[in-house]
Amino acid sequence: MNDDVQSFYHQLQEKGIIFSFSGPISQSLLEGIGHTLKQKMTLEETSTNIIQKVFSIFVELMQNIINYSAQRILTEEAEEDISYGVLIVGKEQEHFYIISGNYIHEEQEDILQKKLSTIRSMDSQELKQFYKQQRRQQADDASKGAGLGFIEMARKASQPIEFEIARIKNGYSFFVVKAVI
Amino acid sequence: MDIFTRERSKSTPWIHFDPQKNHLQIKGESYPENSAKFYAPMLEWLDVYLSNLQEQKVHVDIELIYFNSSSSKVFMNFFDRLEEAAQNGAQIQISWMYDEENETALECGEEFQEDLEHVIFNLLPIKE
Repeated sequence: MNDDVQSFYHQLQEKGIIFSFSGPISQSLLEGIGHTLKQKMTLEETSTNIIQKVFSIFVELMQNIINYSAQRILTEEAEEDISYGVLIVGKEQEHFYIISGNYIHEEQEDILQKKLSTIRSMDSQELKQFYKQQRRQQADDASKGAGLGFIEMARKASQPIEFEIARIKNGYSFFVVKAVI
Repeated sequence: MDIFTRERSKSTPWIHFDPQKNHLQIKGESYPENSAKFYAPMLEWLDVYLSNLQEQKVHVDIELIYFNSSSSKVFMNFFDRLEEAAQNGAQIQISWMYDEENETALECGEEFQEDLEHVIFNLLPIKE
């Protein structure tokens, strides 16, 4: 058992993974991990601007899982929403990156595909205008967030946001996003 | 009208709106799970306050280290309400305070400033 866990741990370290989580995700977990992530970056003397950008993308991706994951615990009694997903924070070639993955309903595929492709094609000025325009629009019914999250991420990232959607059976797809800061 | 106040939490700012002093203050970080829901009572309070506003000058102090995208939408909505009141003759002065090392906070302030015409919107660096 020790060997398995150790090799898993070393594999993560070799890949430059600072933090990885897979399982039930909630707002309080986000707050806790977010705090530690900021502390770690501060201790390593990461610049305030980079810390802000990493934290911002971290929050948007975590809340994306909380609000949109198709795999969730639905109960009126719970204090907060619990949704399932995976989140990885790492560093490669001196750049922080964050990856998230979660199940979505098949019918969300087209909307996400369209939205992310549009965002990927935009330069920073276009992203700024799009952000401002969306900020003043009424939220979509399906959106607990503001529909601004991906634009915000694209503006904070140093490279276009990568994403992949894989069709799974039973009306579900798996959605993966990667942002490099 | 009563003071509207909220204590600061990990993901929500300290809010203190004093109708007697005409002083509205928000300070901290904002990334609640559901921003629209969290800020709904604050916007309701603001609507009542603005509808009773006469000649008094209103000071709005905002000091946000970080806010998420859904909070950004709420703050735009908040400023738009103040903008509308200013357009109808109210004197509204917004001070956007930011740490000089926090470029993001300054840029966010600038982007609100660009979208508002009738309120006075000042960007103020916080001196250590």
